[in-house]
Amino acid sequence: MAVPAEYYLVLSAGLFCVGLFGILTRRNALIFLMSVELMLNAANINLVAFSFQWGNLTGQVFSLFTMALAAAEVAVGIGIILVLYRNFEDLDVTKATTMRW
Amino acid sequence: MIPLQSADVLPQWTALAPALALATTALVLFVIDSIDPDSMDSGLLAGVSTIGALASAGISGWFLVAGTGMSRTGGAIELFGGQLVVDGMALFFMFVFASVLALVTVASYDYLEGQPHQAEYYSLMLLATTGMALMASANSLATAFVSLELASLPSFALVAFLKNNRGSVEAGLKYFLIGALSSSVFVYGISLVYAATGRLQLAAIADVIASGEALDPGVLGVGILMIVGGVAYKTASVPFHFWAPEAYEGAPAPVSGFLSSASKAAGFVLAFRIFTVAFPLDVITGVAVDWGVAFTALAVLTMTLGNFAAATQDTVKRMLAYSSIGHAGYALIGLAVLSGAADQSFALGASMMHLLVYGFMNTGAFLFVALAEYWGVGRTFEDYNGLATQAPIACTAMTVFLFSLAGLPIGGGFWSKYFLLVAATGASAWLLAAALIVNSALSLFYYSRVVKAMWIEEPDGSFEVSSYPTGLYAAVITAGVMTFLLLVGFGPVSATATDAAAMLF
Repeated sequence: MAVPAEYYLVLSAGLFCVGLFGILTRRNALIFLMSVELMLNAANINLVAFSFQWGNLTGQVFSLFTMALAAAEVAVGIGIILVLYRNFEDLDVTKATTMRW
Repeated sequence: MIPLQSADVLPQWTALAPALALATTALVLFVIDSIDPDSMDSGLLAGVSTIGALASAGISGWFLVAGTGMSRTGGAIELFGGQLVVDGMALFFMFVFASVLALVTVASYDYLEGQPHQAEYYSLMLLATTGMALMASANSLATAFVSLELASLPSFALVAFLKNNRGSVEAGLKYFLIGALSSSVFVYGISLVYAATGRLQLAAIADVIASGEALDPGVLGVGILMIVGGVAYKTASVPFHFWAPEAYEGAPAPVSGFLSSASKAAGFVLAFRIFTVAFPLDVITGVAVDWGVAFTALAVLTMTLGNFAAATQDTVKRMLAYSSIGHAGYALIGLAVLSGAADQSFALGASMMHLLVYGFMNTGAFLFVALAEYWGVGRTFEDYNGLATQAPIACTAMTVFLFSLAGLPIGGGFWSKYFLLVAATGASAWLLAAALIVNSALSLFYYSRVVKAMWIEEPDGSFEVSSYPTGLYAAVITAGVMTFLLLVGFGPVSATATDAAAMLF
């Protein structure tokens, strides 16, 4: 018994909004990174669900690429957050303001 | 000229040679680094990177002249089942990226003197350019996203390269946070387009939309708008522009020049291909959203905001950063006027020409700032007072860059702005034409402040130019000469750009 496609869209849009809410309200750089992961995974839900819906594998394969790239992005992000901590002794993204924002 | 790939002189895959040259050079740099990890020999590293960049630029220039992927030699070359495509536009932009890279690597030789981790710096730069070259030839939303990330991830690390400098780290953090946010918006947009059409390849998406099989126009429209957002980030346009002044001001100056010229052009080539091939206006209008209107609004907002903000700055690097946002607005005109343009390939071609000229004049201007940082001159306009008495040649080049950026007939920027204006008036887009003229006039004001400081103001005697670094000088002067040559020899460039753009319609 297949679930109607619209339900997946609602689920992924909900997940995307949770991630966006996290980015807009949290100040810790690591939480920020996790919120971005949620947004990327919202895209994966769509890709996998509609891959099934359309009967081709394009979306499923692309979702694997998205996961790999999300991991690569976190690797670079953690590196930058580490030097942020060394220079500013804090993970708060609003504290790093030597230039005008 | 013999058509190379289509007449079986060379195998088909060699059409990607400009991108392959960049990737190979990046790997060679890794090998050099693994043999001698503690090397401070920047001559070898900068030399290898420059040779790779020049080889890539040379091959793409050769292919452009030979007509690889042009309609006169049998049309675009599709590779890997149509995931990548090499045509005139792809080669044109590969040439832009590789030339900017060559200028920047030559300049970095002096700029990075005594810095650790130089091999990493150069290989990241080469990898980012490889990503940009692939963005120019991406023919499906999947390859578009993967190559966009290949261009972005090394750039984040490059901006934060000076890891004990708080400005550089802060710039890297802001660039990364906005970059991660906008790439997730971009990929969510892709997933919505896939949800509506079931395809990722650009031409196949257009076919599905045209046949009316697309599931839900609302979902498709939201997806397209999110893709616009992702592209706006890469081109530093409104509404995702606010990372640009921070990242360009905090990053090492050669990296700022590289990002504001090459990375911006990469965002534009992706936008040109996605919106003309996957969502052509005659197919998409009436089904989902008319993106021409969206780009008109973005172009006017971006130009106005960039130029007005630039006029109020007191540091030169930040002024150039905002002016680079303004130039993104000029280049957006090509997309914005497509719906009403009498000659679509001319309109798109004008944007391509502007990005080529911009690649030389803007990189040159940032490299002059790098030169000033190398000398220890301060950051504000006043600190540049009387610089021309001590470094007349570099200041002459900077004057050419600034007046060319403003659109005066002293560099190629005059022609490209003139063609953009012709394209806008030809499409009766009076708002865009007026915004272009008003903003160019305004930009002349703040560019002149730098020229006035350099040539007219008296030096306050607080610094002494002690050395004339070869690499930085060579890069600045080459960029100056190229900017000037583009004024006198603009004919072939405009013909190539218009031909290349015509392939998309």
